[in-house]
Amino acid sequence: MTAPAETPRVIPPAELPQKVSTKKPKGRSDLSSALAFLSPTLIVLSAFVFFPVVFSFYLSFHSWNMFSSTESFVGVGNYSSIVQNPEFWSVLKNTAVYTLGTVPLNMVISLGIAYFLNKKLAGKKLLRTAFFAPVVMSSVAAAVIWRWVYEPSFGLLNYGLSWFGIPAVNWLNNPTSAMFALIVMGVWKTFGFNMVLFSAGLQGIPEHYYEAAQIDGAGKWKQFWNITVPLLSPTTFFVLVMSVIGSFQVFDTVYVLTSGGPLGSTKVLVFYLYEQAFKFFDMGYASAVAYLLFAVVFILTMLQMKYLRGSIHYSS
Amino acid sequence: MTTDRSPLLQRFSVLLLAALIAGGCSGKDGDAGGKVTVAFWHSCVSSTVPALNELIAKFEEEHPGIRIKAQYVPTGDALIQKLITSVQSKTAPDISWIHANFLQSIIDADAIYKMDDFIHSADSLSAADLADIFPPLMEEAKWRGTLYSLPMEATGIGLLYNKELFRNAGLDPERGPRDWAELRAYAKKLTIDKNGDGKIDQFGFFVPAFPASGPLGDWMVWQFYPFLFQAGGNNINGEQTQVLYNSQAGVEALTLWKEIYHENKLSSFGIDYEPAFASKQLAMALDGPWNLPRWKQIPGLDWMVAPMPKGPAKQSTIVGGEYLAIFKQSAHPKEAWTFVKWMVRPDVQALWSMKSGYLPIRHAVRLIKEYNDYLDAHPALKTYVDQMDFAQVPNPIDYDALKISRHLAEAIERATVGNADPRAVLEESAARSNALLKASSGKATR
Amino acid sequence: MKQKKVIGSVVLHLAMYGLALITVAPFLWMLMTSFKTLPDILTYPPVWWPKEFIVDNYVNAFSAAPFGRFYFNSVVIAVAVTIGQIITCSMAAFAFARLRFWGRDVLFYIFLGTMMIPGQVTMIPGFMMLYWLGWIDSYAALIVPGLASAFGTFLLRQFFLTIPRDLEDAASIDGCGRFGLLWRIILPLSKPALATLAVFTFMGVFNDFLWALIVVNSEEMRTVQLGLAIFRDRYQTDWGQLMAASVTATLPILLVFFVAQKYFIKGITLSGLKD
Repeated sequence: MTAPAETPRVIPPAELPQKVSTKKPKGRSDLSSALAFLSPTLIVLSAFVFFPVVFSFYLSFHSWNMFSSTESFVGVGNYSSIVQNPEFWSVLKNTAVYTLGTVPLNMVISLGIAYFLNKKLAGKKLLRTAFFAPVVMSSVAAAVIWRWVYEPSFGLLNYGLSWFGIPAVNWLNNPTSAMFALIVMGVWKTFGFNMVLFSAGLQGIPEHYYEAAQIDGAGKWKQFWNITVPLLSPTTFFVLVMSVIGSFQVFDTVYVLTSGGPLGSTKVLVFYLYEQAFKFFDMGYASAVAYLLFAVVFILTMLQMKYLRGSIHYSS
Repeated sequence: MTTDRSPLLQRFSVLLLAALIAGGCSGKDGDAGGKVTVAFWHSCVSSTVPALNELIAKFEEEHPGIRIKAQYVPTGDALIQKLITSVQSKTAPDISWIHANFLQSIIDADAIYKMDDFIHSADSLSAADLADIFPPLMEEAKWRGTLYSLPMEATGIGLLYNKELFRNAGLDPERGPRDWAELRAYAKKLTIDKNGDGKIDQFGFFVPAFPASGPLGDWMVWQFYPFLFQAGGNNINGEQTQVLYNSQAGVEALTLWKEIYHENKLSSFGIDYEPAFASKQLAMALDGPWNLPRWKQIPGLDWMVAPMPKGPAKQSTIVGGEYLAIFKQSAHPKEAWTFVKWMVRPDVQALWSMKSGYLPIRHAVRLIKEYNDYLDAHPALKTYVDQMDFAQVPNPIDYDALKISRHLAEAIERATVGNADPRAVLEESAARSNALLKASSGKATR
Repeated sequence: MKQKKVIGSVVLHLAMYGLALITVAPFLWMLMTSFKTLPDILTYPPVWWPKEFIVDNYVNAFSAAPFGRFYFNSVVIAVAVTIGQIITCSMAAFAFARLRFWGRDVLFYIFLGTMMIPGQVTMIPGFMMLYWLGWIDSYAALIVPGLASAFGTFLLRQFFLTIPRDLEDAASIDGCGRFGLLWRIILPLSKPALATLAVFTFMGVFNDFLWALIVVNSEEMRTVQLGLAIFRDRYQTDWGQLMAASVTATLPILLVFFVAQKYFIKGITLSGLKD
């Protein structure tokens, strides 16, 4: 212990013991320090998160073009227009279809790959890099590449299909195949992320469970269903919740790949929101849409928590 | 165990601060040594920029005290957004290109001058000059009867076609299809599957059907208008109470598009029309004068521009303009006006048209011998210019122009890509547009 | 029995490597295309290997677009935000992990709550605020809102809580002030967590699209992602240039990932196992 040359203040011995304990404050609040430490974060978050959240709510009850100086109060007018607007429901449906298409597929693939990646394999790091690479790249770049892959005359996919004698499809030109194309791309982009989560979860399952089951004569499949799945359920639940939230917010890939078309079949919630706010500058209406998005995501998460929490097994 | 990160941190904070300051100050250029600098925003495509630079050089030669600083802004949504946000951040240009469909927003923000302020000023523009400008262009430069901009150049749509492919199919390469029936027949004849593998190798005519919600949605609507006009229709009535695109004329026009689209399996057309035309995989397409420099540069491409095929009611095409507006935030409105007024001069228009391929905005240009000679030597440009005589502009939509345009775009997409019944989809879109018109009918006139 | 195991292993390897190959096929396709001439690209059936290797696409993409500028913007913004977040999040996390004050836990739960709110709710008023400030189309618009993060605060706070207090107690006896505690003791011990936060933040900002799309209008302020997306907007798609641009947009991030893999993985698992 060197002599405190920089701090001329001599600490009275009486204060020492209390400083060590952090259990019960002596009555001296750290409020002023806390404010100092928290202020940058608080300022930025207040300006760009807390205030906007509240203001957005306020806006949703007004009709405001943003460039005119007046906004008019419309009460629940925006919300009722949205609900009465068939376009909104079709947008909601598209988003739901996208979610239903990507989430189960994604989970099955990522779990499967994580499972096998857990086995004895040469070059695991390389494999993991390959599987995770799509996650790391930007959605825009991914969509640009896939747009080229889906090109009907010169793209990779139709070329690959032609090896099997399947005729070329103009993927992005008709509503059904466009959504399918978007889903495939969506799964490709995100399965690596879930794979990592599942890997961690799998590694958390103690070996001796499997060994015991092996001794009992249970086959691999049985082991999987009776040990892996239940013990993996916290991770599975987390992956499910995150995936649903994420797919409801998809935007970048839709913007680049299909622009919400063809025929509005891939127009998802956030794309619709973007249009209303930044193409038509209908800020009040758009804010209402944003809050509805929030509500939908919130409700879905709550539903999952309510109905699925019970099926999570925790190993003691 | 002290890590001496402070100097590093300091350096980075300085960089951060500098970036913030640099970012925050995106103001206008200062005036350099006695010369006045006028900021001019435009969306000229890259192949036209050299011509623009020449034009500006000529202006600066004639007006030594003024310097024009041209800046490119992509057209469409980006231009609207940039203009509006720049007005708010007090970084608006002196002059900018502007389009009829977002005049309303800019006027709402009280950002631009009425042209009359300048026309009747000391540096005036004569009534004769104004009358000489093609009337449709003047219409588009106004909003609710008041003139807010002046045209810089005009564009139109013609029928671009490949002479070689015509010859191969036994069609006369010196002329294009004369009417809708011929257009349809030609398109069919020129759509060929060369090796019988079920994949079409050459397409006859590109129907510009794009996703309505995508960036080319408005562009698709613009290319549809000529057909609407040719069938005798228009987009909206003058009183702004009802849209007209769902009339019989609209149905006929949309039916034509739908038929050509499906007969020639355009659903399998993947790449964009320009590379396709350049690589001889497309025989005909709707095109405009801005592309003339591009086609000229491609060796071995035997191409020409024909007038639009005549419709059931008349011959017509759409004319559009790029309009110049002067912003109230400008520190040099007089100098800005000098440039705008200069652009209207017949000899300047002739020069600009010859250099850029854009179309002139007024009749007097045809009186200039040099220009006429140039046209004779450049038949494609001549076709576009000749079309000005029967070109039309769509009626202005005063409120919610973007949304109404979107409704029409959706109808077009549904009839072509979606193979739906044209009348039904037009009616549906019209119902939505009319509802919007009703809601805004109470708004005050400016 | 042994033979079955060997076959099984071979099959497993084949399957996994096959899947990996399919996963990276689009990358390879992008890479190959970026070196091809336009006729080579627009040919059917497509060829994997370019007949003629050219770098023109890269040159043109950087001059025509201009991607060099977009790159500069993206890097400046990503670096600024990353540094900013490390500073603000570590300070805030320190407050939550080590200081006692009224309302601390409530405030922390509010932070957690905001993590649940979709970004789209705040983006419209966020845009409007920037509009009123006149910051649209400037670096400020792209940097300032990202300078703080509830997620980053959460991540660091969890980590700080795992650091034993003995070292700090010793230091405070020495007369080290609170900031000194943070600076000299906690941060040096938190290098892994900081690295994880840095890597995630950098990646997030570099790859961001929607926010940049909203606040940027002029060409000189565009980020790489915007440049890529808008490259495609025009109805003339030069696939070669576009692929070259995509390669340059993707390669750095892939490289960072390859080098800092364990931080990515750690970060993901940290966020996943928060119960």
